Amino acid sequence: MSKGKNTMNRLGYGFLMIVAASLAWLGTSWAADNPLSLELANAKIQISTFYDGTTLDVTGTLPAEADAVIQVSGPKKDVHLKQKGKVAGFLWMNKYDVSLENTPAVYMVYTPTGATEKFLNPELGVGYKALVNGIAIEPESADKEFIFGEYVKLMEEAGVYAVNEGTIKYGAVSNGVKSFSATLTIPSLMSAGDYTVEALAVDNGTVTGRNSKKLTLELVGLPASISNLAYGKPLLFGIMAVVIAIATGLIIGVIFKGGGGAH
Amino acid sequence: MLHMYLPIAGNSVNVFLIFGLGGFVGLLSGIFGVGGGFLMTPLLMMFGIPPTVAAASDSNQIVGASTSGTLAHMRLGNVDIPMGVMLLIGGVGGGAIGVQIIKILKAMGNADFLIAITYVIMLGGVGGYMFWESLQGLKKSKNAPAEESSAPEPNDGKKSLVQKLPLQYKFAKSGCEISMLLPLGFGILVGILAAIMGVGGGFIMVPVMVYLLRMPMHVVVGTSLFQILFTCVNVTILQSYSNHTVDFVLAVLLLLGSTIGAQVGTAVSKRLNADQLKIMLASLVLLVCAKMMAGLLMTPTIMVALKGGH
Repeated sequence: MSKGKNTMNRLGYGFLMIVAASLAWLGTSWAADNPLSLELANAKIQISTFYDGTTLDVTGTLPAEADAVIQVSGPKKDVHLKQKGKVAGFLWMNKYDVSLENTPAVYMVYTPTGATEKFLNPELGVGYKALVNGIAIEPESADKEFIFGEYVKLMEEAGVYAVNEGTIKYGAVSNGVKSFSATLTIPSLMSAGDYTVEALAVDNGTVTGRNSKKLTLELVGLPASISNLAYGKPLLFGIMAVVIAIATGLIIGVIFKGGGGAH
Repeated sequence: MLHMYLPIAGNSVNVFLIFGLGGFVGLLSGIFGVGGGFLMTPLLMMFGIPPTVAAASDSNQIVGASTSGTLAHMRLGNVDIPMGVMLLIGGVGGGAIGVQIIKILKAMGNADFLIAITYVIMLGGVGGYMFWESLQGLKKSKNAPAEESSAPEPNDGKKSLVQKLPLQYKFAKSGCEISMLLPLGFGILVGILAAIMGVGGGFIMVPVMVYLLRMPMHVVVGTSLFQILFTCVNVTILQSYSNHTVDFVLAVLLLLGSTIGAQVGTAVSKRLNADQLKIMLASLVLLVCAKMMAGLLMTPTIMVALKGGH
């Protein structure tokens, strides 16, 4: 009886060992497939009254031989554009309507120093050329590459599209793993919404690991109240705006009369 | 530098920069009786404000500046209220007609071209004529200094035709007795043009009052501001209600500058004679015209623009 019990205990113990070992093996193999970690210093950025854009520190680790590339993108929308063309042979005007469908409002790439072109590769899914593949154009007859290229210029000027070379820094290597860090730019034109920060480990022209984190920008305080009123009670908002404008005009008018009454 | 976030425009701006911009445009408004939208909207776009938000918030700002300016001009006896009311009624009616015309033109497919051409011809024609005419006036006043009356008397043929119109009324401040239908008709004309061009119409209304209604220049400025005030109240409420494009933070920043600017402008206006005022406004209008022409003739660096801009 007690001998039988002992055998059962041993079997159970052995089974547990096997389960633990296979879990450990699974764990290491999962880590080998996804050798990239990514942390955002702050996953929620608040847009308050005196907000003027900000920066966001990101850190992580990856295999020592790989390079890290970070892309920030979000929210996708349809962009309506006017393409310029010549009218009457010599006047440049907004001539044709074109729309880019499913285009991110923000797209920024961060690369380590050197050979940035190597990372801006459609096969890696990084860079403007990769982005254009996921975008549809209306009308279909329009030149998608050209229009998107011009749109990129427009967005780069505004600061919401960018390729930031040499912005990823590496730390010390230990046990075949190195750390990386970057300071991301959050321009004031990046509006409230959800964005994705994605890090890629690139080794020998292939993606060997990827990891992404959600980044949220939200309106708080005065900007939030004004925005809620403008969209929630638009008529009241309009009347309030007019009343305050008239009141300011009257107050300034009276102050000036008091100050400079004598002509 | 102190920045503030504009929740509707979706961008932040330097508080002092916008305050200064408001002050500058308010100054022009007080001097010339124009709203200044034709200057303010492109300037705001340069600072990263979307065009629709720039135009709508500017009209909110003009409400404040023109209240301040109208008050200052009223104290100087420069506002002809009956005249302003007739122009205003005409302007609102004309605006509604203009919006319909734009719809038809858009359906025909050549609206943008016609708008741009109307713009350049109006600005060039009005600016050029005012410049030439006030230059003649300045030359004349050098020889024999005479205040205010640089406009020649209308000829007899015109006078009798105008006098035959019904509803004659004595516009005391403007110093003329004409039919009420006259300012109403001109108001409609300006309203149509303003709606087609997408502007407040101050810089068309001022020359109309000076040359067609033959009002004294200082009364023109005050009456124009009075009229612009009501137009912009209407635009602000409509834009807030249907398009959510009024950025209140932006408007208040501009407003603080422009209401002060309008008071200073009125004081400046008082010290200038009619021809000096006209030649300065003409130069400003010609400058805007030249900028538009350059934009139309030069090859753009970026071949697309966000829809909603010019």
